[in-house]
Amino acid sequence: MTAVPNTHRSTGQSSFLHWVETRRWIWSLIGIAVLWLVLGALTSRLSLQSMSGVVSSAAFLLFPALGQMIVVTTGRGNIDLSIPSVITLTAFLSVNIIDGSNALLPVGILAVTAVGLAVGAVNAALVLWLRIPAMIATLATGYVLATGTLLANRSFSTYQVSPALAWFATGRVAGVPVIVLAALAATLLCAFVLRRTVFGRALSAVGQNQRAAELAGLPAARIVAIAFLTSGAAAGLTGALLAARAGGAFLDMGSPFLLQSVGAVVLGGTLIFGGSATALGTLFGSVLLVLIVTTMQIAGLPGGTQEIIQGGVIIAVLALAGAAGKPGRR
Amino acid sequence: MAYPALSEKPDTVPASATTPPVVALDHITRTFGPTTANDDVSLAVPPGAVIGLIGANGAGKSTLMRVLCGVTEPDSGTLTLGGTPVAFPDWSPTEARRRGIRIVFQELSLCVNLTVAENFYLEDPSAAAGTPWGSPLWRGRYRKLARAGIDAVFPDSGIDVDARLSDLALGQRQMVEIARAARDPNLRLLILDEPTSSLDAGRAAQLQDFVRRSTAKGIAFIFISHKLREVLEIASRVVVMRNGRVTREGGADAFTVHALVELMGGEAGRTAATSSQTEAGREILRITGPVTAPLGHDITLHAGDIVGFAGLEGSGQRTQLHRIRLDNPDAGFVSGDRQREGVFPQWTVLSNISIGALSRRPLASIVSTEAETETGRHWAERLRLDPGRLSSNVLHLSGGNQQKALVARALARQSDILLLDDPTRGVDVASKHDFYRVVRQTAEAGAVVVWYSTEDIELLECTRVLVFHKGAIVRELVGAEISEESIVDTAFLHEKTGHEKTSATPTPAAPAAPPRSPHRAADRLTSVIPLISLAAVCAALATLNPASASLFGIDLLLSSAVPLVLIALAQMFVVGGSQIDLGIGAFAGLVNVVGATVLTDQPALGVVLLAAGIGGYAIIGALIERRRIPAIVVTLGASFIWLGCGYTLQSAPGGMAPDWLMAAVAWQIPGLPTSLLLILAAGVCGLLVDRSRLGVVLRGFGNNAAALSQGGWSALRHTMLRYVIAGVFAMMAGLALTAITTASDINAGSGFTLLSIAAVVIGGCHLLGGTISAPGVVAGAVTLSLIGSLLSFLGVSTDYNAAVQGLLLVAILGLRTLLERRESAE
Repeated sequence: MTAVPNTHRSTGQSSFLHWVETRRWIWSLIGIAVLWLVLGALTSRLSLQSMSGVVSSAAFLLFPALGQMIVVTTGRGNIDLSIPSVITLTAFLSVNIIDGSNALLPVGILAVTAVGLAVGAVNAALVLWLRIPAMIATLATGYVLATGTLLANRSFSTYQVSPALAWFATGRVAGVPVIVLAALAATLLCAFVLRRTVFGRALSAVGQNQRAAELAGLPAARIVAIAFLTSGAAAGLTGALLAARAGGAFLDMGSPFLLQSVGAVVLGGTLIFGGSATALGTLFGSVLLVLIVTTMQIAGLPGGTQEIIQGGVIIAVLALAGAAGKPGRR
Repeated sequence: MAYPALSEKPDTVPASATTPPVVALDHITRTFGPTTANDDVSLAVPPGAVIGLIGANGAGKSTLMRVLCGVTEPDSGTLTLGGTPVAFPDWSPTEARRRGIRIVFQELSLCVNLTVAENFYLEDPSAAAGTPWGSPLWRGRYRKLARAGIDAVFPDSGIDVDARLSDLALGQRQMVEIARAARDPNLRLLILDEPTSSLDAGRAAQLQDFVRRSTAKGIAFIFISHKLREVLEIASRVVVMRNGRVTREGGADAFTVHALVELMGGEAGRTAATSSQTEAGREILRITGPVTAPLGHDITLHAGDIVGFAGLEGSGQRTQLHRIRLDNPDAGFVSGDRQREGVFPQWTVLSNISIGALSRRPLASIVSTEAETETGRHWAERLRLDPGRLSSNVLHLSGGNQQKALVARALARQSDILLLDDPTRGVDVASKHDFYRVVRQTAEAGAVVVWYSTEDIELLECTRVLVFHKGAIVRELVGAEISEESIVDTAFLHEKTGHEKTSATPTPAAPAAPPRSPHRAADRLTSVIPLISLAAVCAALATLNPASASLFGIDLLLSSAVPLVLIALAQMFVVGGSQIDLGIGAFAGLVNVVGATVLTDQPALGVVLLAAGIGGYAIIGALIERRRIPAIVVTLGASFIWLGCGYTLQSAPGGMAPDWLMAAVAWQIPGLPTSLLLILAAGVCGLLVDRSRLGVVLRGFGNNAAALSQGGWSALRHTMLRYVIAGVFAMMAGLALTAITTASDINAGSGFTLLSIAAVVIGGCHLLGGTISAPGVVAGAVTLSLIGSLLSFLGVSTDYNAAVQGLLLVAILGLRTLLERRESAE
């Protein structure tokens, strides 16, 4: 028996409902299946090929979403709104530093990771030391980074991509996109850390009840700091990967990731109040979200309508999940 | 044990057969899980009586009062009001209040961010009826009402009815709290729970006078106090409770203070833990510093010691316990407040236990299921917790078993210090005995147990008891000296003679009353920051570019500030409820688009769309309140809906503002900059709403939502109203954008979201809710808007605007935190 989140009222419930309740990612999987059928009906080209495009787009969303998931799981309304700015900034940085050469790739990867970690450290310091609510702290660092991006945008322009990184972002191994394999590996690693390590337990404990976690002797502040660092690093790496896929960097490159990183987490069944995370759910949530967008594009919905539906879906999922899993006040 | 003979003479105010009691409780039994808090208790309150209700900690007084006020429903028993029976399902705090039964709680139920008069309004809004909306007439009425109410109980109190509660001393707050309940014209019974705990002797005497005068009018009182002499002075009848039962009841003149102390302690219980009192083990802990000053020596705790912290609740026991915890981070800790400080509600019992052992291991180490199960099983058996329950969710266990799991968690840390913070609260007798056994075993195994209990009888389990009074240890009882009498005696006699005693002690380490106002300097700074920064920015602008000080210059510079001021005011009302709207800029952008497209072409449809937007805001408010989902995520989602709607209406910037809208900002009063007047008008609107009756209620909800809900205010309705107000201000901002730019762009509003939060923060509002200031927010918004112009005058690229805004926001919030931290450290 592990720390599988448990329902509060299973006594009178059938075991099936209980099984579903403890595996909230099931809903996003059902959503994927339904949408895939809809998509198949719309295009009459129901194929694994069409799915692989969706899945590799979803892979790029997965990395920042896993970071967001860990931050959200620390509870107390914690959220990382600096993700889009980190992604845009590191996309520019990676293009500029690597400059199309494989030799400079390690330097570039180190640099984007360092930037991501630095932003995470600043966020953690603002939240833990200056006690600024996470959403405001990360929003503010995001703004500061946006200025950095504007400057980066003016100072250089190169469209060279390192071949190795390009292979990683767009290549295939035995017909499977490399990035998808990387996403699966990241999901497995994350799931392992969450379920099998002391950190995973401690993260869940802090997210459920920070006061109790401290009294139980857990280093609550350190865990919150690690969460922000992880999220920053994940966003930093995503920036480099996105730049490699797009063959360059542009302003607003990270913008979609603001809502989508939160959306993938929520759709996947991670509790927005903290304490319960599911890496598998976030994987499915990412796929579902990309699938929704793809379906809307194929259905020919205008861009505005697509945004309305994305926003509406996330609010609806939250409203349905609602008070479940969270006793007491916001 | 010899009890004093009960006097046979009747009570001072006899309950004659013709006048039925104001209220009578009969055979009330109430259990919490396996604990019986009230066991067949009966209590009748005749008109004009003053019942002194006394009992040691945990005797069941509070439960009885909660039953009386409709907060708690008993398991069995009846309630009779003025001779007519009332069914408990129909009995609620609101109903009790309506029938003239009021309680003044020990924990204050006031909104400290509001003025005295405003708190009187929240108590009873009916006196404001008939004053027109937005007029300040109602304030005058409540000022008078508050003054009269306070003077009726505490003449010459010197309390300014326009002062904020947070600026009053604790004693003055208590006076307001009492006066607020006492002024109820309908009052039949007033329950005073420790009413004089923060009052000086003079004020306490005034309260006694008031009670006497009121009893003459037939109003009854229940007076709960640890100050026994005071109870005997004021009460006509005394009821003594112990272990959930009424043990003695009689006329007040039949008792003496000593007799009461004896009655509360009852017969001597079992003698102190005899087994473990052998020679002292090795020293583990030392209690030193000002807390031991009255004793004159340090206290050393040895392996095998079970040390009880005794004394009246809140005498510094818990503070000392946490001090030990912080000095010994490996110590095991068990809190009796299971919900807030104990359980991890999503987890199984096993995970709840094993985290105690896991927390001593490195974060990167791997959890082995077998080892975990082994640990859980081992400690569950030690505590006689059924191992079959290890896989159930922890909340499915009874309170006693939950507490066993938490004790198991603390023991699993295998530390030589075990700290217990009132661990047996609401735990059944059988579990208690298992628990006592485990405590003894733990001590015998070479640990020191420090045990704070609110139930004096438990302290008999200890080998040593430290009695606290006003934050310091006043007595150390060892071995045979420990008895319920000696504990109750020390605690209560110190309360009685507290003044003489403490003044006689050389250096009483009294963390006495909290400071007059916790965040005084930070508050003052907060209120002047917006004005200072505005003045600084204006001065800099005028110096750099003298033309900006001209009429035209001011008008031009400020015109871009108008939308920001309005959005910031909208955000201000959301922040007042300790929430944040991340979609407010996008909403203003949508209104901007509607204003320049539909509103121009089809005015009627445009109005409908705008109304729908406000309706959307009402729905957002309802969702947040009803479904308890975080406002940021809902409003973040909503921001995409607003943006999507805007794109759908107009995919590229353009459009044309309607003529009437442009005319609305194109007027000119000679000699005055139009945009300055618009900004002032917006500020006045914000101020009017905030100062209105609704604004007061909204601020009340931001500060103490629980108290307002209990006072009968609807949280759902007011959250919706809060968001509708925000929506209306954001709509005005969008229309102002349309009017000033004469066109529209859906992205025009997005940048305003962070700016609005920054303006609200600079303006001195508290992100935790309740404290907002419209003038501050206006000044903050104008400052932020002018900083953009200032940067361009300085030749700084507009690229830096976002960074400056972000840094400014973080700097101000950080500065405020540091200031508050420094003050609370003092």
